[in-house]
Amino acid sequence: MNRSKLVGRFVVLALLFLSAASCSLHADLGQKSSAVTHVDMIVKMDHGDYWKTVKMGAEVAAKEYNVQLNFKAPTNENDYAAQIQMMKQSIADHTEAIILSASDYMALAQVTDQASYAGIPVISMDAEVASTKVKTYIGANNYEAGQKAAQRLIQLTGPDSEIGIINFVQGARNADQRAEGFMDYVARFSGIHLVGNVYCGSDELKAKRLTQQMILEYPHLEGIVALNAEASIGVGKAIDATGQGGHIQLITFDNPPEMLEKLQEKIVQAMVVQNPYSNGYLAVKSAVEAAEGKDIAERLDTGTKLIDLDNMLWPENQKLLFPFVK
Amino acid sequence: MSLRNRLVEPFEKIHYKKIQVIITFSFLTLTIGMVVLVSIMLYNKFSKSAEDNAYLNIGQIIDQVNTNLEFYVSGMKDIFEVVQDNIANSHDISGVQLHEQLSTILNTRKDLVSIALFTEDGQLVHNTPQISMRPNSMLTKQGWFENAKQHPGVLQFSAPHIENLFKQPYRWVVSMSKKIEYYEQGREQAGILMVDINFKTIDELSKRVSLGKKGYVYIIDGLGNIVYHPQQQLIYAGLKYENLESVLNYAYGTYVDESTGEERIITIKTVEPTGWRVVGVTYADETMTTRKDLGSFMIWFLLIVLIIVLIVSVFVSYKISKPLRVLERSVKKVEDGDFGAIIDVSGAYEVEQLSKRFNLMIRRIRELMDQIVKEQEGKRKGELEVLHAQINPHFLYNTLNSVTRLAEMGRKEEVVTTITSLSKFFRISLSKGKHVITLEDELEHVRNYLIIQKIRFKNKFRYEIDAQVEALSCMTLKLILQPLVENAIHHGIEMMVDEGFIGIYAWIEQDELFLRVTDNGLGMTEERVAKVLSNEGHLSGRGSGVGVRNVQERIGLYYGNAYGLTFESELEEGTTVTIRLPIIRAVDQGGDL
Repeated sequence: MNRSKLVGRFVVLALLFLSAASCSLHADLGQKSSAVTHVDMIVKMDHGDYWKTVKMGAEVAAKEYNVQLNFKAPTNENDYAAQIQMMKQSIADHTEAIILSASDYMALAQVTDQASYAGIPVISMDAEVASTKVKTYIGANNYEAGQKAAQRLIQLTGPDSEIGIINFVQGARNADQRAEGFMDYVARFSGIHLVGNVYCGSDELKAKRLTQQMILEYPHLEGIVALNAEASIGVGKAIDATGQGGHIQLITFDNPPEMLEKLQEKIVQAMVVQNPYSNGYLAVKSAVEAAEGKDIAERLDTGTKLIDLDNMLWPENQKLLFPFVK
Repeated sequence: MSLRNRLVEPFEKIHYKKIQVIITFSFLTLTIGMVVLVSIMLYNKFSKSAEDNAYLNIGQIIDQVNTNLEFYVSGMKDIFEVVQDNIANSHDISGVQLHEQLSTILNTRKDLVSIALFTEDGQLVHNTPQISMRPNSMLTKQGWFENAKQHPGVLQFSAPHIENLFKQPYRWVVSMSKKIEYYEQGREQAGILMVDINFKTIDELSKRVSLGKKGYVYIIDGLGNIVYHPQQQLIYAGLKYENLESVLNYAYGTYVDESTGEERIITIKTVEPTGWRVVGVTYADETMTTRKDLGSFMIWFLLIVLIIVLIVSVFVSYKISKPLRVLERSVKKVEDGDFGAIIDVSGAYEVEQLSKRFNLMIRRIRELMDQIVKEQEGKRKGELEVLHAQINPHFLYNTLNSVTRLAEMGRKEEVVTTITSLSKFFRISLSKGKHVITLEDELEHVRNYLIIQKIRFKNKFRYEIDAQVEALSCMTLKLILQPLVENAIHHGIEMMVDEGFIGIYAWIEQDELFLRVTDNGLGMTEERVAKVLSNEGHLSGRGSGVGVRNVQERIGLYYGNAYGLTFESELEEGTTVTIRLPIIRAVDQGGDL
């Protein structure tokens, strides 16, 4: 009898311990469920206000959605090989989602497929990649942006004029789409003569050089469109150098501060501005959703805005144009 | 029994009045009740205080931000006043001295971007530092300019904006502006004074504030324009929505906003000099985590307590009720007639005691039953003997013998007397089979006996019968005096040479009935007395057949051992036997016993 009493007490004690253990176990599980999501963001370039703004938006989303964000980028926008390497590293690291802004539409397709096979969802941001495995595309509608630029440029130059394109990276999806949109619009006007579509490889100096060449080659050039920030800066410098500011109508892309100065000085007539902050924010948000296995929209258009001297100081545009408080 | 069986067994037959069920159920109900009550109370108390704490905490943080901002803005306001004083006291706006003064002021604070004075139509009068203006700045259409113009003499704070006036890098600034008087070459002029503060300090001040993981602080001006918002771009891009309308309705306070679908706690404070509102946004699910944690903890706690209580109470009640059940089984065995059953129950003290007492009781019952059996046997035997005595052939033979002798001698009267007495004697002896008769009848019986014996022994003795009248109606066992008289005759008188005497008396004393048979015979030794009362003293065949012992036993059996015979005897003096009986009246005792 005494023995069984003892056994009984042991049983009760054991139960108490078990219950205490189950409590702490539960607490552990609870913590795990709200754990961080690891997201790698691979963009085209590790400098430039555009990418800094993308990063800023991404970081806000990372805070909001409890994401451990790993921001990776090559130094040079042309360097798609480095991007492939980074993709491979991310796959090896078993990150939970990858956000890719592909420098090359085709070159990064294979590694994107690989990531998908490894069970890592890939979110395409800013520039698309030639893979059907991509969960979603977040960014501007580049074709439309190209058309917007063309529409404004033709308004400025008139329907009979010579215009040129300073493009950035050949093979980058957004570059091609912008050019395509631009050229498709221009093609409606028989009087418009497109003198060239040249690639500067996101190199300001090369852009400047190409612009100067173009101006030399086509002295009657009336309009230039520069399809990204670096190209724009280069074109701006080339126009400065000619001292003919305002003679050649200039539509640029993105909003580096030096170009805003030129907008106020009426050297640049308008700029097509994307929403890098939204891109970064939405990309991370979608990455979290994709990592959780939720269905997400195939495309998220963050829109573009045509900014000119009249609307550049509207409060909502100021924050878009000057994302950083310095 | 394995543990499993022990735990399962109690569930097999649920009887609602079983101790085990009662204990388990009441234990459970009580504990659940208490735990639920305590849990609810604790939960409410804790969650209330957690909520209060959260609110307090948020309030304090917002207060802090507000204080910092007010302090900062007041400092700037002071600087503006110094600048204004300097300009007002200066005779010539373009004087070198003024420029130096303003430069000094500008250099004291790193976050002062520029000081500039414009005419009312937007022409630059003076600026420090002296940087040339950008074209196309459209300054007259900017908020700070228009407001200052519309409210002369009142210091205006603009919302943060991009300063695009001077050829220096674009910067986010807050412009303080006011319409003031200044002197240009001694002439008083009206102009708009502007001091730009770098927005960075305010931005960082606000950015540093953290309200939980998702919470944030934002600032709006009196018109609802965003001064600072960590997600300003998202709001402009339409990805986020901030319910500014309701915020504008409050200058101070806390409320819960659900316009974004999430429960958010909004805390508002107004920065006095600027009319800005500092708005703290905290997510209820975050600040109320304590409540959620507490809730889930309480539920787990409740569940575990429940399980433990269930197990413990089942176990405890099983422990308590098990010996009782064993006891019950034993009692049932006894009920079925097995008085040999000895219960060996250990367990709770009470149960142990109960089983001990029960065992004692069983033993007592067993003893009593044995006794009853013995008594019944004795009674039967006594009655049989009485039955024998009723038709004792020996006595009949002797009596008839003496009658024959008397008849031969022609003593007709004595024959008649003897026969009459014999007939009466037998009638009372039989008394329709009754065991109990009145004392009157009993005395009549013994009288008849004495008459017969006196004739038979040829008047060898005298006798006397004396009884109190009230004693006559008392009931007594029949044939209790006759054996004593017979004993007196055979052992006391028969052997005597002198005339014998037998006295028979009955009286009531202290609510008891006393009968006495006394003789003056030979008397008895003490051993003889003992023998008379034992078997050996029984003179079978010789007397009436019923011995003294039989009388003693019958009295004992009918009235209890408190009653019976007492002998007083002395050799050569005689013997006195006293019978003590309870008083039972004839009226009370209608039937036979």
